[in-house]
Amino acid sequence: MNVAAKTYQKGEIPGVIAIKASACKGCDACKRHCPTGAITGSFGATHSVDVDSCLSCGQCLINCPFGAPYETSDTVDEVIARLKDRNTTVVGIIAPAVRVAIGEDFGLPAGSLVTGKLYGSMKKAGFEILDNNFAADLTIMEEGTEFIVRARHAVFGEKSEHGAEIGPLPQFTSCCPAWVRLVETKYPTLIPNLSSAKSPQQMAGTVAKTYGTKVWGKSAEKIYTVGIMPCTAKKLEASRPEFNNAYEYNKKNGRALTDKPYPDIDTVLTTRDLSRLFKKLKINLAAEKDADGGSLLADYTGAGTIFGNTGGVMEAALRTAYAVLTGEELKPLEFKPVRGLKGVKSASVKLKDTKYNKEVTVNVAVIHNIAENIKPVIDEVLSGRSPYHFIEVMNCPGGCINGGGQPIYGNGSSWLGAIRPLFAWK
Amino acid sequence: MISQKTILKHPLSVRIFHYLLILSFLPLAVTGVFLYFKPLSESAMNLTMQIHVVAGVVLTLDAIAFFLIGFNRVVLFLKRIFYFSINDIKWFAILGGYPQKILLRKKVVVPSMGKYNSGQKLFGICVLIGGTILIFTGWILWALPHLMPREAVSLLGTLHTFFAWVLTLFLLVHLFLGIYMFDDFKAMILHGKIPYDEAKEMAPLWVEKEIISISENSY
Repeated sequence: MNVAAKTYQKGEIPGVIAIKASACKGCDACKRHCPTGAITGSFGATHSVDVDSCLSCGQCLINCPFGAPYETSDTVDEVIARLKDRNTTVVGIIAPAVRVAIGEDFGLPAGSLVTGKLYGSMKKAGFEILDNNFAADLTIMEEGTEFIVRARHAVFGEKSEHGAEIGPLPQFTSCCPAWVRLVETKYPTLIPNLSSAKSPQQMAGTVAKTYGTKVWGKSAEKIYTVGIMPCTAKKLEASRPEFNNAYEYNKKNGRALTDKPYPDIDTVLTTRDLSRLFKKLKINLAAEKDADGGSLLADYTGAGTIFGNTGGVMEAALRTAYAVLTGEELKPLEFKPVRGLKGVKSASVKLKDTKYNKEVTVNVAVIHNIAENIKPVIDEVLSGRSPYHFIEVMNCPGGCINGGGQPIYGNGSSWLGAIRPLFAWK
Repeated sequence: MISQKTILKHPLSVRIFHYLLILSFLPLAVTGVFLYFKPLSESAMNLTMQIHVVAGVVLTLDAIAFFLIGFNRVVLFLKRIFYFSINDIKWFAILGGYPQKILLRKKVVVPSMGKYNSGQKLFGICVLIGGTILIFTGWILWALPHLMPREAVSLLGTLHTFFAWVLTLFLLVHLFLGIYMFDDFKAMILHGKIPYDEAKEMAPLWVEKEIISISENSY
């Protein structure tokens, strides 16, 4: 732990990524994947991570040819111990991008969708399932509705129903913890532009320890929530001290059995971690039979499913906004201009707001691979010249699907930006 | 009676190639060892890597230039280092007689050799293959590590380290024997010529089969 870290709250993991000096060749490859220049050390010298600049996204980890970066937080054995404890209900919260990646680690073709096998394997390990797609649906309803409120406030001067302050446009998505940390540490004036909605992981944790107590018949204190994410930054997000809403809610409603606050998410496993956990428990995911989720908390829509790709949150938000504003479902349902791997995608959508009987044009942008693409967009917003009303940002190239916690695909490069040589020097 | 005749063993193009090889490979080997063990401060390691890169670029240009300008020498070199006979096995069995000569001050009968003895041929093969791999992998590791598949770069890194060690260790032997064979050392560093009598003793097959007398008096 870096005790000198200045950009973390008490209780947060101060930097999920570190570099093993003995494995580092000083080749600088990692620096080209780092969105914030957080990797220090001259070309040729052993590198290290400046935890205050680091977003914990893990892009250096999955791209270093020599396997030098590693995760400082590894709770696989702790989760296994909880799974063996009969008094604890361990809830696995599976992100959308996990189910299309974990199969690789069990010999299935890359990109195999293994939702049923994943459910089966998790149940065999002893997990209850809360599909994060369910929580992604909650997020998009919150985020989409929030956008409508902000847009109506900006266009029609509509006031908040509850008298609360309404944030400015453009509204940025807030699901990506690396992006949120970038705003907090580098562009704090943009914090009001971030959606106030929590990420699906954090919503899922709160749901598990409130509504979930009825589903699984256990008190919140006996529920151990495990985010299973394609992302190393989710480990940092879960450790944020403000994310104990379930405890606050249960305490307010007389349901808390203890005065000791508990987090909404107890720990986070990456896709790689879960794969390791299965292997330790001798569970072969590829050979498992398909199972279902077992409760309403594993039901979800197609909008939640596409969250893991760049453009997925925006497409889901537009579907929701369209339905709320027009009273009809978007047809066709797919909104293709925000799909694909272009660094910055933009589109305009004409919507008729039935409440005001007026047609409005919503300009949206989708940004991924922020190391390459975020700066011009942020500069426009800061200077007040941004043409956009709603902007989705995902840190990793391609979105969560290529997150720092995914299985490391040795035969490919995740570099999606400009193809140019490095010629490292300083 | 000792003959004053000499044989041109290393033409100017080869000597220039070799000068640049000394200027590039020696710093590459030294900095490479430092980069492997990383014993220096950050700024010193950075300087070490910068010297490594500059020397690597010089080595690359030297190799490409020699390949293009001295292509006939390259072909001859390839023909010579890849020609094998039973004599090579016999030569390796006694290590060319060098241990006996150096350690025991004893002269043993050495199988007849061509321009390059068996040890030099092995070194030549290592330099050719290892050097090519080092140049190729070095450029990838320097300029393109973020654009290549992760496992491929990792493998190239391992190959770079392996061949760097092979050539660096071989270099120590080469330097020692190069200076030990002082006439050959002078030929490579200065004028290119070695005494006829020494050539006849060290490389009799070369002298018998390949050497053409230009002038009775001058060479």
